Formats: sequence, structure tokens, C-alpha cells
Amino acid sequence: MCTSWGICKPFGIEIRIDSSWIFILGLIASTIGQALAFFLIFLGVSQVLIGLFFNGLWIALIGWFVHSAATPRYREVLVKEMLKDLRAQDLMDTAFETVGGSIFLKQKILLTILVVLFSSTVYAQGNKARISFLSWPDPGGGFEEVVADFKRENPGIDVEIIKGPTSTDLRQDMYVTSFLAGEPTYDMVLMDIIWVPQFAHQGWLLPLDEWFDKEAMKEFLPGDVEGSIYNGRLYRIPLQSDAGMLYYRRDLLEEAGLAPPETWEEFLEAAKRLENPPIRWGFVFQGKQYEGLVCNFLEFIWSFGGGVFNERGQLALDSPQNVEALAFMCDLIHVQKVTPPGVTTYEEEECRHIFQEGNAVFCRNWPYQWTLAQGKRSPVRGKIGIAPLPHKKGQSSHATLGGWGFGISRFTRKKDACVRFIRYITGPGAQRKLHLRSGVVPTRRSLFHDTGILRESPYYAGLFKILLHARPRPVHPDYPRISDIISRHVHKALLRQNTPQDVLKRAQSQIEKIVRRQRG
Amino acid sequence: MTEEKFGILLIVPALCLLAVIALYPIVRSFHLSFTESGEFVGLSNFVSIFHDERFRDASLTTLLFFSISVPLELILGIGVALLLQGKFKGRGIVRAAHLIPWALPTVVMAIAWKWIFNDAYGVFNDILLRLGIIREPIAWLGLPGKAFFCIIVAEVWKCVPFVTIIILAGLQSIPRELYEALSVDGAGYWQRFRLITLPLLRPAILVALIFRGTQALGVFDSIWVMTGGGPAGSTEPISLYIYSTVFRYLNIGYASSMVTIAFLFSLLFACIVYFVLTRRPVEY
Repeated sequence: MCTSWGICKPFGIEIRIDSSWIFILGLIASTIGQALAFFLIFLGVSQVLIGLFFNGLWIALIGWFVHSAATPRYREVLVKEMLKDLRAQDLMDTAFETVGGSIFLKQKILLTILVVLFSSTVYAQGNKARISFLSWPDPGGGFEEVVADFKRENPGIDVEIIKGPTSTDLRQDMYVTSFLAGEPTYDMVLMDIIWVPQFAHQGWLLPLDEWFDKEAMKEFLPGDVEGSIYNGRLYRIPLQSDAGMLYYRRDLLEEAGLAPPETWEEFLEAAKRLENPPIRWGFVFQGKQYEGLVCNFLEFIWSFGGGVFNERGQLALDSPQNVEALAFMCDLIHVQKVTPPGVTTYEEEECRHIFQEGNAVFCRNWPYQWTLAQGKRSPVRGKIGIAPLPHKKGQSSHATLGGWGFGISRFTRKKDACVRFIRYITGPGAQRKLHLRSGVVPTRRSLFHDTGILRESPYYAGLFKILLHARPRPVHPDYPRISDIISRHVHKALLRQNTPQDVLKRAQSQIEKIVRRQRG
Repeated sequence: MTEEKFGILLIVPALCLLAVIALYPIVRSFHLSFTESGEFVGLSNFVSIFHDERFRDASLTTLLFFSISVPLELILGIGVALLLQGKFKGRGIVRAAHLIPWALPTVVMAIAWKWIFNDAYGVFNDILLRLGIIREPIAWLGLPGKAFFCIIVAEVWKCVPFVTIIILAGLQSIPRELYEALSVDGAGYWQRFRLITLPLLRPAILVALIFRGTQALGVFDSIWVMTGGGPAGSTEPISLYIYSTVFRYLNIGYASSMVTIAFLFSLLFACIVYFVLTRRPVEY
């Protein structure tokens, strides 16, 4: 019945109504709509609960429709009320966006209206550059503190931390979804080292070489930088380093007069002598079929002198060294029996629990385990040590590199603000703070000699050596698929469904297809 | 306007809605299945699928899952429905309580079952150990055959109530007189079940079968939570493989081809069930 804003013509008579009345009326109408919707949903759900399943479902669905109809109405009313006393100059921005001559204004206006309608935050903004990234839930609060410091120093930039789920895969899905839609939901990308080739290959990341030159990157750990490069260009600035290592029970080893094992022979001897299954097992590692198994497998094959690719860069997954390494892994479970039989279902946390409860002599895990195993209520507090993983006699150990770093989304409109923030958060001061608050392992060489950090985490001297020799996982845009093939097949061998030789041969031929297609 | 035309007019809105939310995605994924990273590649995706070992394994897993879980659910569902049909004290409460598994979100029930089958802390192992059936704890979700068994148990547990409630509704519509007439003729319980209950339940069974069948062919959430497709890929259904292909490998064309094949499977199944069960109407 309203023909235009503020003028109502019921029964053909023109009446002007004060806009605030319209506002209140509109608000009441939309609120009633929403209340009705919630009532219908409630009614529907309660009907489902008393057994009228389909009736209830219908009513709830109708309620949901009403709700979705009432919500935009409510927003529209709010927006109109907010806009009523504003003049153009109040909202105008000097940093305006230009539009190509060929675009239809209709589209542009529609877009603007949509943006105004659906972003409830536009008004509170002012002309600050607002940038965001998706992080893991950070119970230590280190990220928040560093971001607060940054905002204090850069009043023109507002950084928003969007807290995502703990699961790495889920956060990857969230990033991928927003990239596929081509939206700047996240201006910066806090990425796992293995996302780099895939995201860069899709063209979702900005190359960063322009702002971070080779000289500047020398301050970081070499493996972390190597894993941030795809096709010769830098896409990620490392923030947190991570590498697999061997945790051992120092008290037990010292009692038996043994040194931390360097070779697999020494390791087996120590494990067999000190274990007492099922109360105390010799060794636990991540043997479930998932990404963690691939990390463990790579460490085994590297320690036997093997690798996924050979020195000439050719795929060599079924090389004799790799077969030997996988056979050794299987033997640990089935022949030597130094691991619990359920090790093929373990992820990191299962391993940590077993080690921390004192039920294992050795454990392969990431640095995060140290802080927890040395916690106040940990039964093994003060009784543990770390060492590089053992290797075959005559070979050397290399840890699998993990870790996190920042990239910039191709879709952002505020890349300068992003660069400034990334420079700040990966700087020495911010990294030290992140370490002390949230246990983040730094990526800058200098911080491993920092007295403050060494007082807090004395084992960092040893960790530094491990990180220096750590290697990234195969850098390939199809890495997720390659990793899935490896974990499926290696797991088959660990379950003794097939021989190590057989599974590696099959994995090799499947990965070959992917690598070939990528080239072709 | 004839009644027929008016009827068509009435279903037009529903058809439009279906076209937007069902038809469009199907057509779109069908179209995408002939592309790879935006380029038209003809049938090459389908050719690679037929050489894809993992797709073959996933299809077999899905079919096996389907052909074990759905009949089990149907048999148990009909059994429970017959029990709940009889008059006894507290029938209302039992009927309501029996619905709980179906009312639970699948993820919640899958997490619960994951713990039940846990090797170190699981109730299942504990019971078997106390009964002396096994000597030492078994990693139920860690061994291929056993993990599959666990998934079936959880799925059947969750979905039997759904079948029950549909069958129960079907049972209400069978006229009492038929039973009485047959009793007069001297038929026993089994004969009454075979000659009256089962044939007249046909429409209800059809509904239950189509719902459960298509859902079982597209099973995702319970397996995703309980095993994630492991161990050694032995419990991975097609839907999980499609999910990985889209979100982890970003290969949307290939995934769409798999979607198309899976869709045709479901369609075929629904058609077969429909034609077999509605072939000749039951008349008395």
C-alpha cells in the first residue's frame, strides 16, 4: 500500500507520515514476522518430538521460509532508519573505486545496494583498511595480543582474526570455498606449508617477491622458505615452524646407561631392552591412514637414503631404499612388536597420551608435545628428552617439515595493508611474543639463540638442529592427491594386506599418472 | 478451466522450486562432467573413471554397504513395527523412545559409536572381554573388515526407527476385517502375515526402500566421522571420494563425472524398485 517512502495512499488519500513512525511500524511488522517464524519453527520441532514427524517438518519449514522473508525486511528497515539523517558527504570516501566505462550502472548500483544491505558492519568502519585472516582457535591468546600491538602502531589498519575450527582440513575447506567464489572473505591466508603449491597453482595467491627479497628471507630457516616457493616465486612468509622428532624417556635411558639412539639398530636395541608391554611399549608413531602417516613414512624413507623423487627429480617411490624402509616400519609393528598393535589407528594425540602417561619409551611427534609433556600434571615431567629421529647406518636423518605462514589472497583490495601486517607478525618481536604466549615455534634463526626463549624452552637448541635439516614434503600442485595415494598404500602394507614392494609399486604407477597429466 | 488443468496449475510452483533446487544442480553437474578446469574435454573424465581403481573400490564399498544395511534395516524395521503395533502398557512411551536414534544428529551418533568401538576405552571391547569372548582388546575401527562391520551396525541402529515409523503407518491402514475373515478361514499367524500384511504393506515398503536406498547410496556423514574412509581406504564410499576430489584435489570436472554416475545409479535403483513394487496392484 505504500507507493513511495513516507507517502501512503490507503483508500486513495495521500497521507504523509513522519519517517520515525514508519520506522517503528516497519520494525514492529518485521519483528512480528520473525516472532511468528520462530513460533512456527518451535511448533514444528515440538510436533516432531511428539511423533508427528511429517506434520512437524512442514510447519518448521514454513516457519523457516517466513523467517528468511522477515529478515531482509528487518534489515531494510534498519538501513533506512540509519540513512535517514545522513547527507552524502557523511558517507563519501575520498578513496573511491573507479569503474570501467563499459560496465552497466545497473549492476554497480545493485551491487552497492546488496553490499549495504548485507554487511551489517559497514557503518562502524570509518575509512580504516580492514583486513582479515582465518586462524585456528588460539587458547594462548598470542595472536590477539600481537594484533592489538599492531593496531596500536598502525591506527589506519584494522585486523580481524576470524577464529576457525581446530581441524586443518576444515580450515582449508573454508579458504577453498571462498577462493572458488572469488571473494575477498579472507585478505590474508594463514597456510599450512602443503597448501602452497596447490593454492599458488590455482592462482589464488599473490607472489610476494616484490616486498620480501632473497636477502630478507635468509633470516628464516631454510626449509620453511623452500616450502614457501612454487615455480620460483615466493608465496608465503613462514610464521611457525614444525618438524617431526624423537621424544625419549631420559630417565629410563640413563638408568640403563644408554645414550639417545642415533641409528635404527641402537634404537631397536634400546626399545626392546626398556619396553615392558602392554604396560610400557617401545615406540609409538602416527600410523593411521591420513596426512600424518605420510609425514612419518617420509622420515623413514629419508633415513634409509630414499625419497619420493630421486636426485634427478624423477618419481622413485618404489626404489629399493623405500621398500626397505617400509618393510622396517612393518617389522616394528609385526615382527619386533615394539609398538602397540593399535598403532595403525593413532594420530598425534593418541601418541602423546601414551607417551605422556609413561606407556612408551620412544615417541615420534611434533614440537607441541614438549610443552604438554612437561606440563605441571604430566607424569613424565622432567624425564624426557628430544633427539633427531634415528637413521640407517651410513645415512642421515631428516625431519618432515610442517608449519604455518602467511600469504596474501589474490582477491584482496588492500594488499599494502596486508604486506605491512605480515611484515610485522613475522618479525622477531611478534614471533617471540607468539612463542611465549601460544607456544609457536619461531621461523627466524636468531630466535633460537634468544636468551628469553631459551630460558622458557631450553630444548630449542636441539630443535634448531632438527629444523635446519628438515625437508618439505614433495612440492606439487596435486600434492593432496599424491599424499592420499601414499597414505592409502602405506597403510595397506602396515596392515599386512600387501607386501611393501607391491604397495609402493602400485602407488608409484598411480602417482605417475598424475605427474604426467600435470605436465601434459 | 477443467479440474485437470487446475491441478496442473497448482503443482506449478512446486515444480518451479524443484527445477531450481534439484534440476538445475543435476543439469549443471552433468554439464561440468564433460569439462576439466573450464575446458570441454568430451568423455575423457568418464574414460579415466573406468580405469580408476579407487573409484572401483569406492563403488564396491558403497554397493556392499547398501546391500547389507538396507535389507537389514527393512527386516528389523518390519519386525519392530509389528511389535509396536500390538497393544501393551506404555506403548506410547516405547514408540517415542524408539525414535531417539533417528532424531539424533548423525554426527553425534557417529561420534558416540566411534567411542563405543574404541580399542582402549570402548564399551564394546569391555563387554566382550568380560564375557570372555575375546582375550585382548581389538582395534575395531583399525582393521578393514571389522571397521566395515562397525559402520553397518551404527547405520542400522540409526535408521531402523525410520523404517519402523513408515511401516507402522502402513500397518494402520490395513483393515481389521481382512484378518478376521482369514482367521475364520482358519489361517495361522504366518499365513496372515504373508497373505495380508506383506502385500498390503507394499506401498509403505516402497517408500521406505526408496528413501533408505538412495540415502545409503549417498552415505557420507557417519563414515566421515567414524573412519574417514580408512583403514587403508577400505570403508570409503563414493560420496567421500567425490568430496576429496572437489575440496582437496580441486578437480571439479572429474568429481562431477562421478556425481553423474552416482546419480544414474540412484535413479536406476529408484526406477527398479518403483516398477517391481507397483507392477500389479493388490486387490481384494
